[in-house]
This record gives sequence, structure tokens and C-alpha cells, in this order.
Amino acid sequence: MNMATNTAETIGDNHQTVGTPFVDNAKLSMRNVNVFYGEKQAIFDVGMDIGTNEVMAMIGPSGCGKSTFLRCLNRMNDTIEGCRVEGDLNLEGEDIYGAKLDVVPLRARVGIVFQKPNPFPKSIYDNIAYGPRIHGLVSKRTELDEIVETSLQKAGLWNEVKDRLDAPGTGLSGGQQQRLCIARTIAVSPEVILMDEPCSALDPIATAKIEELIAELSENYTIAIVTHSMQQAARVSNRTAYFHLGKLIEVNETEKVFTNPDHQLTEAYITGRFG
Amino acid sequence: MNSNKPSTIDLVNRNLQKRYRAEKRFQIFGIASIGFGLLCLLVLFTDIVSKGAGAFTSHYIQLTVNLDPDDLDITDITDESQLALADYQGVVRKALRDKFPDVKKRGDRRKLYGLVSNSAGFRLQEILKNDPEKLGEQLTLWVLADDDIDTYAKSKNDAEPFTGRLNDKQIGWVNTLLDSGEMQSRFNRVLFTSGDSREPEMAGIRGALLGSLYTLLVTLVLSFPIGVAAAVYLEEYAPKNKFTDFIEVNINNLAAVPSIIYGLLGLAIFINFFGMPRSIPLVGGLVLTLMTLPTIIISSRAAIKSVPPSIRQAALGLGASKMQVILHHVLPLAMPGMLTGAIIGMAQALGETAPLLMIGMVAFIVDIPQSIMDPATVLPVQIYLWSDSPERAFTERTSGAIIVLLAFLILMNTIAVLLRRRLERRW
Amino acid sequence: MDKLHLDQHISRQYNADLEDLRTELLEMGGMVQEQIRDAISAISNADSDLARKVTTVEDEVDAREIALDEHCTLILARRQPAASDLRMVLAVSKITRDLERMGDEANKVATMAIALVDEGQSSQGYVELRHLAKSVLLMVDQMLNAFARFDVDAAMTVVREDKLVDREYKSSTRELITYMMEDPRSIGRVMNVMWALRSLERIGDHARNVAEHIIYLVKGLDVRHTSVSEMERQVSES
Repeated sequence: MNMATNTAETIGDNHQTVGTPFVDNAKLSMRNVNVFYGEKQAIFDVGMDIGTNEVMAMIGPSGCGKSTFLRCLNRMNDTIEGCRVEGDLNLEGEDIYGAKLDVVPLRARVGIVFQKPNPFPKSIYDNIAYGPRIHGLVSKRTELDEIVETSLQKAGLWNEVKDRLDAPGTGLSGGQQQRLCIARTIAVSPEVILMDEPCSALDPIATAKIEELIAELSENYTIAIVTHSMQQAARVSNRTAYFHLGKLIEVNETEKVFTNPDHQLTEAYITGRFG
Repeated sequence: MNSNKPSTIDLVNRNLQKRYRAEKRFQIFGIASIGFGLLCLLVLFTDIVSKGAGAFTSHYIQLTVNLDPDDLDITDITDESQLALADYQGVVRKALRDKFPDVKKRGDRRKLYGLVSNSAGFRLQEILKNDPEKLGEQLTLWVLADDDIDTYAKSKNDAEPFTGRLNDKQIGWVNTLLDSGEMQSRFNRVLFTSGDSREPEMAGIRGALLGSLYTLLVTLVLSFPIGVAAAVYLEEYAPKNKFTDFIEVNINNLAAVPSIIYGLLGLAIFINFFGMPRSIPLVGGLVLTLMTLPTIIISSRAAIKSVPPSIRQAALGLGASKMQVILHHVLPLAMPGMLTGAIIGMAQALGETAPLLMIGMVAFIVDIPQSIMDPATVLPVQIYLWSDSPERAFTERTSGAIIVLLAFLILMNTIAVLLRRRLERRW
Repeated sequence: MDKLHLDQHISRQYNADLEDLRTELLEMGGMVQEQIRDAISAISNADSDLARKVTTVEDEVDAREIALDEHCTLILARRQPAASDLRMVLAVSKITRDLERMGDEANKVATMAIALVDEGQSSQGYVELRHLAKSVLLMVDQMLNAFARFDVDAAMTVVREDKLVDREYKSSTRELITYMMEDPRSIGRVMNVMWALRSLERIGDHARNVAEHIIYLVKGLDVRHTSVSEMERQVSES
């Protein structure tokens, strides 16, 4: 049995995303998004909403475009040469790719956490303080101290590092580094946090801590997370979007997706029939 | 398993010895080449040090000089022209005659005068100029021996002492002086305090050293910022297209262009077109800048490329602008690599002669340069000049200058390594 | 080729595990079906030997239940199944329970058969018993087919059949009550028949449960505690 041939038939050219891609209280809403790398099209006509204070998980096989799509949301794709984004992407009604919107404040509003923990080779304090400093959020040292402390507390790292804020951030363990990166993102008080496989380089305990953190953060932030671990998506998210070969196949409540997905391809992917 | 077919482990074991031998041979090749390199270096160093060590000492003769105003022909000490034209040489000769009163013949006396360097007269003039009170007093001072005498004294204990143009009488005098302790070997301060001279015993490398320093300063100040700026633009901003590819190929080619071409370029542009003076460190520095730029650009680009993209993304993701990313993250992280490139370039520039020959830094310059606009020569050119001179004492000085050049290089590299250690950060 | 593509996992061991689960359940189902059939023929033919055989099989059915449950736990722990696989494991676990209960009921029927044989021959209530038994056996057969083929239509038939069985059970009870009113001496006997009828009806209810689990397994719809018409609507919609 060859799933690949099956796949081509099932998606077709004029596919329709099944499930409930659109919600009423959308923080981010995307319509007819197409992304090209040079001649090659990576994302085909994707439309979906990410609701306010919702955790949206994006899953799919490697190369399905989920990371690409995630990076469109704060225009990280701008740095990639030959990458072209078409369609309407809105952050609370503002066009993300609009001429009026400056990418620097956009990224302050929509933060991103990457796959590999990437703290700057600076002290823990400076790692957190970097964002507020470049955006000029604070004028006094005491305010900055406060931001550093609250960010680290929110990221659940304060108790572990409060005695060594001058130590290099790169000296922390992998899980701590990733939480440091999350704290660094929180420090500029974004509205949305994008996470690009934030746990794929971490051990299960560190992963559990990050997942716990995501659950806590979801009270105040809108979170979109790309993950390769379906269990993780099932654990942390409210809704789950399944991408396949650059197309958005299904968006549904997470319980629905993991017990009874609407689309054959979603089913095949989450039960490990290809991938 | 088939009984007459050997098992896998047997086959493996059979080949094991062969593999170990091959491994051993491979290692030996490596050790041998390193050994060869070390041997060559050792031979070079022993040769240079054994030849050049003598340059750091020279022989001085003790003279008791009577600064008699009549002998000196000075009537008014305040008159500068009188001070300049006074017969210091005569006083020195008189002192020598006093030391060896039994030398009467004219020819012998001339030989006797040849024991002492011409610089003795200049020393006296210097003394009087600084302290006119000394006029009329009697001074005991150590004056430089002539280069031939110095060379003889140094080689006296060798199997075949160098005699050169010395005759037996002179050799006798030298021996008497050495025995009585009136002739002594001392640290050669002249080497580090004076410029070039036709007289080997008076020739020093201070001029060349300062010339090198000024030239390198100009080179560093110009080539490092320009090179880094070019590298940053090419790496971070320039679009990847045919034109930038073309530029990249050309930079790589320029790194391989023979250095004399840069000299010709400098001659044509800076001296002929812009009409800058010849032989000055500024022009030398400009030419060497042209030469080292490709090296610095290439290594800086490599250093920038090696900055992990994750750091860049992290900064971009926080909303840093491109310039902030470069200034706050990329450059600090790339700095050690860029410095390495700069040091390689500087070391190359320090040892360069060919392009400097073209712009006249090969001239015979006695004066010590005071600024980048004064005519000067550089160490390697000085070495080249001295190695061309026939006097035996210059051979010694050539090696001496090479030792100084090497020391300079080692110092530069050490500073660079220390600097890089400090800047280096883990990520 | 079944609709659930159980044999298409990347892990071949996983395929085998799920396939084993299914075969084991079918085996257990077969065993229970045999038990019911034997219990019915024991009671209709007054065959106490056959009835005793039914009671001995019971232990084996219990052992099967435990084995299957353990198998389900293992798959849950090892593979963290999702979607259809998860539904498969959950459904099997629940179906096992219902099958075991069906076995228990068959056992009760067999016990009644032994009691009836001891009390001597009589024909009262046997027609009703045979009638109901035929319907129940048909249901069990259809239920096992529905599971073997993951056939929602067959499962729906079982659900509808259960309604019929319930109705038949009610009319048989009424019939038996008139027997007892006509002849109070027969009350003891008829009560035994009534118990047997009751067990058969319970078997029918369990079969309906199994059918509902099958619908959940195939369609992902939880149709427990809904009316047949509502169930039909949901099934046809999805």
C-alpha cells in the first residue's frame, strides 16, 4: 500500500481545509496565504485564525510548511532570500505585510522562540535586558531589574538563576537555556509568542517544564507552536492545525483531532501511518 | 557456516596487522613532516642567532680626552658655528697618541687613529653642546672602536680570526688594549638608538624600526576598518547576484597577486598621480593597505559566516534591526576571527619589501623619522640593504636586524593571541 | 482490506499488535458465541451435560478478558495510540467487558437449564424461549461480523434488533405471567424460564453495547444513551 499516491489523490488541487479554521475572537487571522521560495511554492492557499489567548499547535510531516507558515507571522521569512509571501495576514486587523507596518515593532508584538536554545553569549541578565534595551522600554536601571526579574519568574527560571544573573546564559542546561529564551521573549511583553519546535532539543523533564510553562503563559499570551511531537501538541494546545505538503488540511479542537480527526490524512499522520 | 571458508573474524584479524602498520605509517609521515619543519626552523634560527648575536655587543676603547680650547680651536663657547667646526678629531687623535706614545711614524699613526670610530668626534661635540662647562676639562670616556677592530676583537678567539685590512701593529695594539682592560665589549646601544650609516659601527635600526611601526600603523588604521566594513557589507547586505560573485572572485584573486604589482600601483597612483612624496611611511602604509585588504576581507567574511545563524535569528526575533544585529552580535562574535585575519595581514605587511622598493622606501636614510610624513625605510628593506653591503660587520648587523624583526613579529602575534583570547566567547 | 488501515503503520510491530488485538477479541467473541449457543440448546433440549460444559468454559472466557485488557494497557503504554488506533484500543477494552458479561449471562442460562432438567419435563415457556434465543443468536452473530468487518451498517442492524428483542421479551413475560396465574404450581418452573429469558435479553443488551462501541470505533461517534432514530441520523451524517 502506497500512501504517497493516496495522498496526491486526497489533497487534489482545490482542497478545502476541513474542521473549524476560523474563530470569532481571532488575534491573528490569515487568508489565502501563499509562500514561495523562488520558483518553488511552499504554502498553498492557507487560511486560518488563531484566537486570543489560545494555544494553536501546528503539526505535520517534515517539509509540510508549518515552520514556514509560523515564521510568516512575524516576518522572520524576510531574512530568507527569495522568499515571497502573498495573501492577507492580520494581527488584530493590522496587515502584517502592509507597507505601513514596521517589522521591528511587529516582532516586539509577536515574539518567537526557536528550536535550538539560542541565548546570546552574554550574561543571563543581559540576555533578558537586550530586548527592552533595544526597544527603549525602560529608562532606569531599577525598571530594567524589575523586567528581568518578572520575565524570569514568568519563565519559571528565577529561583534557579537569581544568584547568578551575571553568569553567562550559555552556561545553563539546555532546558534552562530554552526557558531563558522564552523569558527573553516575554521581556518585551509581546501579545503573541511563536514557538518553533521549542522542545525538540530537550530531554523529557525539560520538555515537561516547558509544556507546563506554555500552559501558564496561555492565560496571558496567544501562542502558536510548531511541534514534531504529536503528544506534545495534544498536551499543550487548544486547537490543532495539520499541514501537509504546504496545504492546511485540517484545523480542529485538539481533542477532536486526536480522537477522531475529520480528514483521512490527519488520521494517517497522527496514528503514524506515514510521516 | 562453510567449514573451509574462513570466518569473518579470522579475515578481520588477518588484515588487522596490515591496518595497524598502515596507520603507523600514516602517523609517521605526519611526524616526519613536522620534524622536517622544526629542523629547518632550528637551522635557520641557529644560523641567524649565531651570526647576529654579535650585533648586540660592540667594543669600546677607553680614552682620556683633554678638551683643550686651543686644541679644539674654540674661542667662544657660545658661538654655535665654532662649536660645529671645532677639531674634535684632533683631540681624539691626541688622546690616542698619549695612549701609545712610542708610535712615531706617520703611517703607523694613521693606523693608530683608525682604531677608533669616527663617531668619537661627534660624541665630544655632543658633550660640549649639552654642557659647555666641560670645556678645558679632562674627560675619561669609552668611545666606539672601528668596525674592523670590533670584528677582529670578536673573532680573536676563533680558529681563524678576522683580520681584514688590519696590519700586525694594529693587532698588537688591540691585544694590548684588551689585556689592559682599556678595550671592552659592551651592549650595543647604537644599534637601537641610531639610524642607518655607511660606517657599520655607527649603523642602527631605530630608523627602520620606527619606519616599520609608522607604516604598519597606517596600514592597520586603514585596512582593518575598510576590510571589516567591506566584509560586513558583502556578507550581510549585498544581494547575491552575478555582480557580487564577480567581486568575490576578484577579491580572492587579488589576494594572490604578487606584491610588487601593488608597489607599481602605489607608484603610479599615490606618487605619480597624487604627487605624494617618495619614501614616506604614509605611502608605504597605503600600498601595504592595498595588499593586505584582500586577506582581511576574506578572513573577516569567514569569521562573519561562522557566527551561528541562531544568534542572528534570536536578535531579529526580538525585533533588533539589521544594524543592531550586526553591531551587537555579529561583530563581537566575529571579532576574534577578524583579528586573526588582520594579524596575518599585518605580519605579511611587516615582512614585505617588494612593493616598498617601488615607492622609494629603499633609499639610504640616516635620519630617524619623526612622523608618517618623514622619509623612512622599513626593517626588511634595511635587512636587504645591509645584506648587500660588503663590510663584514654589516653581515653581523643583517642577522641582528633579522632577530629584531622576528622579535617584533613574535611580539605582534603574542599581543594578537592575547587580545583574541580576551575577546573570544563561547556559544 | 479494512477501512481503518490498521496494517499501514510505519512500525510493523504496531500493525501486528493491533492485528493481534483484533484476532484475540474475535476469538473471545467466538468463544462467547459458542457458550450462548450451547446454553440455549442445553435449555431447549434439557441437556444437563451440555449445560455443565458451558459453565466450565466460563473460566477460560474470564482469562481471555484479563489477557485482552492487559494487551490494551500495553499498547496504550507503549504506542500512545491516537485517533482510530486509540478508538480501537478503547473499543476493544470495552467490548471485552461486554463479552465477558454475555458469557456470564450464558452461564446463568445454563444454570437454569440444569435446574429445569432437575425439575422434570414440561413445555411451558419453551416456545417463547426458542423464539427469543433465535433473535439473540442472530444479534450476536451480526455483532461479531460487524466487528470483524468494522461494518457500521451491521452494527446498526444489531441496535435495531435489540429493540425487537426487548419487545419480544416483554410479550414473553406477559405470556409467562398468564401461565403462572393459570397454574400456580408451575410458578417455580416458569420463574426459572423467566430468569433464562431475562439473561437472554441481557445478552441482547450487551450485544447492543458492543454494536455502539463498534460505531464509536469506526465513526468516532459516541452513540451511547441515544435513541435509535437519533443514532441513525448521526451515523448517516458523519
